[in-house]
Amino acid sequence: MTIAPFAIDNAVIDARNVSLSLGRAPSRVDILRGIDLSVAPGETVALLGASGSGKSSLMAVLAGLERPSGGEVRVTGLDFVHLDENALAVARRGRIGIVLQAFHLLPTMTALENVAVPLELAGQRDAFPRAAAELAAVGLAARTGHYPAQLSGGEQQRVAIARALVGAPALLFADEPTGNLDTTTGAAIMDTLFARQAASGTTLFVITHDRTLAARCRRVVELADGRVVADSRSA
Amino acid sequence: MSIAWRLALRDLRRGGRGLVLLVLCLFLGTAALAGIGSLSASMLAALDAQGRTMLGGDVELQVSQRRASVEELAAFASAGRMSETVSMRAMADAGGSHGPVLVDLRAVDNAWPLVGSFALAAGASAARPHGREAAIAPALADRLGLRVGNRMRLGAATFTVVGIIADEPDRLGAGFALGPPVIVDMAGLDATGSIQPGSLYESHYRLLVTQRGAAGLIGKRLVACFPGAGWSARTSDRAASGLRRGITQLGQFLLLVGLAALAIAGVGVGSGVAAYLSGKTRIIATLKVLGATSGTVARIFLSQLGLAAGIGIGAGLALGATVPWIVAEVAGSALPVAPRLAFYARPLASAAVLGILVALLFALPALARARQVPAAALLRGAVGAASKPSLSVIAAMGVIVALLVALAVLSASDRLLALGFVGAITALIGLLWLLGLAIRWTLGRLPRPRAPLLRLALANLHRPGSQTDRLVVALGLGFSLFVALAVIDTSLSAELAGAAPAKAPRFFAIDLQPEDAGRFHAAVASAAPGARIEAVPSLRGSITALKGVRVADMKNLPESAWVLRGDRTLTWSAGVPPRNEVVAGRWWPRGYRGPPLVSLEDSAARSLGLRIGDRITVSVLGVDVPARIAALRKIDWGGLGLNFAIVFSPGYIEEAPHGLLASVYSAPSRDGAVARAVAAALPSVTTIRVGDVIGRIGEVLGQVALAIRAAAAVTVAAGIAVLVGAVAAGGTSRRYDAVILKLLGGTARQVLLAQAIEYALLSLVLVAVSLLVGAGAGWYVVVHVFELAWAPDWSTVAATLGAAVAVTLGIGLAGSVNALRSRPAEVLREAQ
Repeated sequence: MTIAPFAIDNAVIDARNVSLSLGRAPSRVDILRGIDLSVAPGETVALLGASGSGKSSLMAVLAGLERPSGGEVRVTGLDFVHLDENALAVARRGRIGIVLQAFHLLPTMTALENVAVPLELAGQRDAFPRAAAELAAVGLAARTGHYPAQLSGGEQQRVAIARALVGAPALLFADEPTGNLDTTTGAAIMDTLFARQAASGTTLFVITHDRTLAARCRRVVELADGRVVADSRSA
Repeated sequence: MSIAWRLALRDLRRGGRGLVLLVLCLFLGTAALAGIGSLSASMLAALDAQGRTMLGGDVELQVSQRRASVEELAAFASAGRMSETVSMRAMADAGGSHGPVLVDLRAVDNAWPLVGSFALAAGASAARPHGREAAIAPALADRLGLRVGNRMRLGAATFTVVGIIADEPDRLGAGFALGPPVIVDMAGLDATGSIQPGSLYESHYRLLVTQRGAAGLIGKRLVACFPGAGWSARTSDRAASGLRRGITQLGQFLLLVGLAALAIAGVGVGSGVAAYLSGKTRIIATLKVLGATSGTVARIFLSQLGLAAGIGIGAGLALGATVPWIVAEVAGSALPVAPRLAFYARPLASAAVLGILVALLFALPALARARQVPAAALLRGAVGAASKPSLSVIAAMGVIVALLVALAVLSASDRLLALGFVGAITALIGLLWLLGLAIRWTLGRLPRPRAPLLRLALANLHRPGSQTDRLVVALGLGFSLFVALAVIDTSLSAELAGAAPAKAPRFFAIDLQPEDAGRFHAAVASAAPGARIEAVPSLRGSITALKGVRVADMKNLPESAWVLRGDRTLTWSAGVPPRNEVVAGRWWPRGYRGPPLVSLEDSAARSLGLRIGDRITVSVLGVDVPARIAALRKIDWGGLGLNFAIVFSPGYIEEAPHGLLASVYSAPSRDGAVARAVAAALPSVTTIRVGDVIGRIGEVLGQVALAIRAAAAVTVAAGIAVLVGAVAAGGTSRRYDAVILKLLGGTARQVLLAQAIEYALLSLVLVAVSLLVGAGAGWYVVVHVFELAWAPDWSTVAATLGAAVAVTLGIGLAGSVNALRSRPAEVLREAQ
């Protein structure tokens, strides 16, 4: 399977009239309705909205985890709508990093192995040295041999951040990254996240319901009932 | 090392416990097949290796009721070194309270044995018996209390015991014997006076030829030199053919039991793999988020499953390969022939390949589902209806099933039976799976019961993700197997219990001369007044042609053609014999004296495709007697009375030298008196106690039953492992349910009661299905494979099924007790 090399475009994300519905009539639910969104390289974007507004679903569509019911989605120049599951998985390698609320580390692998996995899947021979460097960058050089069950919540999330960034992706999604953490730890995690983003120049897309957190991003896009109701860039 | 293999090993380091069931099931199933195959192969190899010794030469020629003529002896002697033996039944009497005992009398010449050595136990007074000397079996010495130097009566003469037989090299080749062996020389045989016109005896002429590879041709040539003389020839590969057939048939049956064990193990593999991969859903989704393709995911878990399967199958093969040693050590004395201890590659390879195919077949659906877990499952959760397998998965499973069936059938000696069995197992699994779906469908549409625990129990059976269909297959197979085994075991036990029917005779008397009939009647009447005697003429003969085709020219005689094998006892009768019913044709009229007519036993005739009007040729004392089939009969064998598969019309056949066979119906308390009276009046007459015959057969059946129970034990173990696996497969959801119920105020008793109701409901449905299926399967094995009477003990069957249900409930509730011990916070965190 070959993926066409992405052409560097003005927009890292270019979504037009995106809709997402789940289930079949009469119990069909429209989660996203006609969303248009364009994100430039290096931007920090907060996707804000109440619970059930569709923000996690939008992230899923933009990250290639979910196929939209309608519309177009181009991420780093690739048309995500017409790629199958396997092609999307390959597309994510080196392009997209994802940090999730529940960390989702591989429980049977050490911190170092968790961080190395994306590089190994991409066939990179220097996976482990790069993983070690990334862990050091998030302050976990002394935890490389620990399993997730042996790490605190904050440490697990930092491993997840390192794993998301190890492939030098063009785009990093973080879905409620502090949702399972206490305030102090959550703040520290966000500091780490933004510091790593600034160092790498990755486009950061943070999904959150926390306006204070959203305010740290240069752009805030607000969702309600599956629609974009506010976009500070266009304001 | 590939990325898939690296990730597979890493994951296994900490997350491989869920594969224990897979390993255990494949270990049990493969060990059963490998062990059964290795043991059969080792015993058949022993027969092959000892064939020459068992036969007593390179080729044996045999004739009944006469000895070889001078011309025949000269022809045999010209082919190689020759030895003559004569064997018959006789009565040995030490004069004590034991009374006369039936023995297998063997007269040997000076050249015997041609192969191996004849040895007497320490303390013998001679190397071998001469004249009025006899060597006796240890069993006879024990029974009659005889020692070296004691005297005993054999037929009309008194013999001195010169030794106890320690090694009789060709004993196994002599076949099934009703009594312990006694060896005399030819002069001794003459002294007994047992050889009379019409006496039933066989003369054997063993040859050692210079060209051993041509032994078969030499035998055929010698038989052809004397056509119609009643000779038959066999070579060392056919020595102990009855024993070989018995071992092959028992091995065949045990192979089917082993296949059943592997099928059940397969169900366990399916449960175990499904549960294991279900627990890996988040890992799979995470890997896909990180860029793994479905192919990589499939390779990762296929590597893990392959490693686990390799361990299970390897361990099973290792144990199976050592079964000949284990059996030789534990039960060596009970075996008819000691196994040839070696590793037998063919049954091991067959078991390995079958194990791999079963593992693949049952793991494939779960693996295919795991492959399809979307990355989005991390966000949406994994609960949902399991996707149906794709066409490619179904096609792959079809190919695997075809390979399985082909290999199972090719491994069997009776391929039709194996094909039927494999087909039946496959159909049963399919039927049970459909039943599981039907239960879910039906329960989903029933109105919700008011009682909350009953509602919860029913909902658990049909909710998305429930294990009902898998449980139904596992439990249904297991219960059916237990019922079938109980039915077979109790039927065998009924045979062993000496089911000598009340109407059976107490004695058979053979080698009774027609002119001695009066003295025989008088002797019996004096010992048992009021006894009833049936006496019929008898002589030996063999069917040499059917519808003009010589039997010797027929290739590949079916198993059912027993009537063509060797000599049969014949008789003639003016009227339809007792216990016989004419089912086709017409009996000849009384006083008929025309061309020979014959009546055959109905099933024997049908197995040979014979009908009324067809012609057969029977060789009697070297004379061919052609006869037309006039009638076919059904025989009631159950009464153990004298019955004959071949009955001639009176006339021509009466002129052949013959004896009488008699059956004596008398009071059991008069057994000893009757035996002594007949031995005193007619020493050359051999009396066979029916009880002794049944006891002897019972010993053999007992060994068979033991072998079946051993094989069944492995199958039962596999069934229990599957039960455990099926229950464990639903463990995660049960833990979650238990925690939520506790949160809502439910007590442990209520949680367990809901669980018990769930398993009890399932078990009730399956009890009915398994009774039907298991009893049917057991009936087929008992009646058609073992050809025994259908006599299951239903109370034992019910108790077995009850125990199986109890074990199921116990295992299910044990799983729930475990769930109740879970820490709620931990379970709720895992569920997020």
